[in-house]
Amino acid sequence: MNQNHGPLFRVVKRENTRWYHLAVSYASAIAAALLIGALLLSVQGVPAGAFFRDMFSLGVIGSKFAYKNVEGFIRLFIPLLITSVALSLAFRMRFWNVGGEGQFIIGALCAGFVAFRLDALLTSLAGESWGDAVWGKLLMVVCMALAGFFGGGLYGVIAAVLKVKYGTNETLLTLMLNYIALYLILFFGETKASWNFFLSTESERPIFATFPAVAKMITLPTPFGRFSLNLSLIVAVLICAGIFVYLKYTKQGYEIAVVGDSPSTAMYAGMKVGRIVIRTVFLSAALIGLAGAFYASSAGTLSTSITNDVGWTGVTVAWLSKLNTAAIFVSSLFLTVLQYGSQVASTSYPTVDANFAKLLQGVILFAVLAADFFTRFKLVGRTKAKRQEVLG
Amino acid sequence: MSAEYAIEMRDITKTFGSVVANRNVQLNVKQGEILALLGENGSGKTTLMNMLSGIYKPDSGEVYVDGQRVAINAPEDAKRLGIGMVHQHFKLVDVFSAADNIWLGTEKTGFLLPKSRYEKIEEINGRFGFEIDPRKKAGNMAVSEKQTLEIIKVLYYGAKVIILDEPTAVLTVQETQKLFQVLRQMKAEGHAVIIITHKLNEVLEISDRVTILRKGEYVETVDTCDTSAQELTEYMVGRKVDLNIQRPQVEKTRPLLEIRNLTIRGDEGAVAIDKVNFYIRGGEILGVAGIAGCGQRELCEAIAGLRAVESGRMIHKGDNIVGLSPMAIIEKGISMSFIPEDRLGMGLAPSLSVTDNMLLKSYRESPGPTIDRKRGRAEAQQVIEDLGIVTPSTETPVRRLSGGNVQKVLLGREIKAGPNVIITAYPVRGLDINSSYAIYDILNQQKKDGVGILFVGEDLDVMMALCDKIMVLCHGQLMGVVHAHKVTKEQLGLMMTGSLDLVEIDGKAAGIARDTLIVQETFSGEEVEE
Repeated sequence: MNQNHGPLFRVVKRENTRWYHLAVSYASAIAAALLIGALLLSVQGVPAGAFFRDMFSLGVIGSKFAYKNVEGFIRLFIPLLITSVALSLAFRMRFWNVGGEGQFIIGALCAGFVAFRLDALLTSLAGESWGDAVWGKLLMVVCMALAGFFGGGLYGVIAAVLKVKYGTNETLLTLMLNYIALYLILFFGETKASWNFFLSTESERPIFATFPAVAKMITLPTPFGRFSLNLSLIVAVLICAGIFVYLKYTKQGYEIAVVGDSPSTAMYAGMKVGRIVIRTVFLSAALIGLAGAFYASSAGTLSTSITNDVGWTGVTVAWLSKLNTAAIFVSSLFLTVLQYGSQVASTSYPTVDANFAKLLQGVILFAVLAADFFTRFKLVGRTKAKRQEVLG
Repeated sequence: MSAEYAIEMRDITKTFGSVVANRNVQLNVKQGEILALLGENGSGKTTLMNMLSGIYKPDSGEVYVDGQRVAINAPEDAKRLGIGMVHQHFKLVDVFSAADNIWLGTEKTGFLLPKSRYEKIEEINGRFGFEIDPRKKAGNMAVSEKQTLEIIKVLYYGAKVIILDEPTAVLTVQETQKLFQVLRQMKAEGHAVIIITHKLNEVLEISDRVTILRKGEYVETVDTCDTSAQELTEYMVGRKVDLNIQRPQVEKTRPLLEIRNLTIRGDEGAVAIDKVNFYIRGGEILGVAGIAGCGQRELCEAIAGLRAVESGRMIHKGDNIVGLSPMAIIEKGISMSFIPEDRLGMGLAPSLSVTDNMLLKSYRESPGPTIDRKRGRAEAQQVIEDLGIVTPSTETPVRRLSGGNVQKVLLGREIKAGPNVIITAYPVRGLDINSSYAIYDILNQQKKDGVGILFVGEDLDVMMALCDKIMVLCHGQLMGVVHAHKVTKEQLGLMMTGSLDLVEIDGKAAGIARDTLIVQETFSGEEVEE
């Protein structure tokens, strides 16, 4: 009797994953997701080809205001890139910082504080015209960036210090700190009071005031017509490169790798683990705070939904990229194309609303994550397994 | 099929990915027989037995129980066929009582737990001479008790074939003897027993026949009465091996590290090391013997500065090192390497490359903020050549290397730093014979160079051959420091369980006796040389 009726196929771990495994897996995942998307679109009577064309070209094709689309895209891309890279720093150390949302908000709030108060202070000192000078704008933007950096960093360090001192769970703490930050910005956004300089004085209802012009992010003219380059994109790319070098070539980066791999080994080697954890978490949270400041400055105002869920999406990006800095760049670019592109594309079709765009994003992301499984494992069918046996 | 054998396995092959764990392995065991399954680590012994107990399924091959061909697809099948396995890592629920742990696996579970489950266990206790309280929680049991519970469990389920995976690894000499008595009792009752081990003396003592595996392949089955340790080793390793461990005589220096009245608390706050005195000279290997959890780990950690010292002194070359940071202790030339049970926990960063692991203690020395990988690579290359480490490159993550090579990387780095005291715990843990001997050679070479070595070991035979002196710990207390070539294994075993206290016997008045032991030893001919 043949008693060995094994399952139809088995999951087998791949010995070495080659680049073409990755390429094929991810490409087929995206293709499958788009196919599902196309199906859903045609049910709604929307031409899928045109929709996807608009989506992946960010609506640039045939648009009179193409530069606006690209600028909008970049504005979304910068916070996601910086946040993902920053999160990967903490994750490499196995510090599960899920407090990106809160750190981003605090960074934005701090930047907003500087925008309003520094402007008021300098105006009282140097008169209305201070902001017209070139140094004025630079000073303001740098101060806002620093405020966001340190604000976010210190906010993140709370969880790190408590973990190092009392062994608290950083996942719970950073998560809870998100809500504190969220309700803090809601408080400022909804409390109409004479002290609340965050709100517009012209409106009866509580609305966030726009920043003084001097606090708007610096943009650089480019040869491409009216398109001007957001300065923070350059900073973000430099941060990305800097973190790559920091992790790979510096002693501090080496320490992060050892602490992440085995804290007891780090201690054994004479490293001050607590200090390394606090230092790294500060840097991680500070960069997220900086992203918040950049975004607030680029948008020119605060908002209660300022994060655009970047603290969560950043976690996805960091893991999708396996904490590899170069891969994070690609993944966050891809995700932003999805987010921004599907929003833009859905505006052309009345039957498709922004929620469908989110649905499509979800399907693609899910497929890519599933593909990730196939880059690490393969399915071996029963007959093939038998054949391998014979070959020995 | 004749029913000559209780279990017969024919041409068993099992692969994991591209790794062949077993290839065409044959095994059989009769009723009322003890079969030893012998082989080095990674030779596929446990895999083979896991196929008998239904954890894995063979890719090909046949299994017969009492002459009937069977398919064992799940642990339940094995249980129904009367096959029971005592795993190396116990499978017990800590918060359950002994009786409930057993009840957990029975098939006739009703809605309520019957009181009678306690009595049934008492019954087995009586039959085999076990002493297990059925109401005691597994979490509160000593290791040997847990093992007994596992054995009761398989007997309770009515196993006729009992497989034990490395049962003596966690036992003292005396406990091992007790276990062997139980095994003989089982044999007398007609059970078939398979015992997995790599300890030759135990094979020769307990088994009727021996089946040997090497690198997943079946080598031979021999009658125990017709074989010898030498022959079994040759089967196991595949060639002749000199089983003698060298103990070079080296001129000793003054004490390098002296420990006085040292008291350390463990993680739970209980005293782990209790007023212990000892010292290490340059050019000697001091062994530390004791049952797992007798305070070896805490002692090593305290010397390396990783654990706070409650009271007492640790004097290195005349300087007190209590309270110094791990970094300061490394700089003094004290090297500590501890191979924990998972072998990678402390001393190495498993995902990092050999190069990066070389730099672990010295990366701060290079100037500037960047890490000097060039030096690390050169050192890695040097250690790879010196110690014959098998690795694809210096950039391979350490966890991809085999156990012996991992341990060589660790020891190699420690030696490279030129320490004057080496604390090494379980450096041959899980290694095959060849790698073990390579490690002993490395330690002996260091000894010849005048380094003082504290060797925390598991295998008493090895320690008696390699060490100059052996100190024995029991529940954190010093039981005595004895000359390795004078002591017997039985004495060590008694000291390890606390039944023989040579501190008291050799010592003078109680209380200062431990100090006297050191003073007396120092007087006995050694200090004269200085």
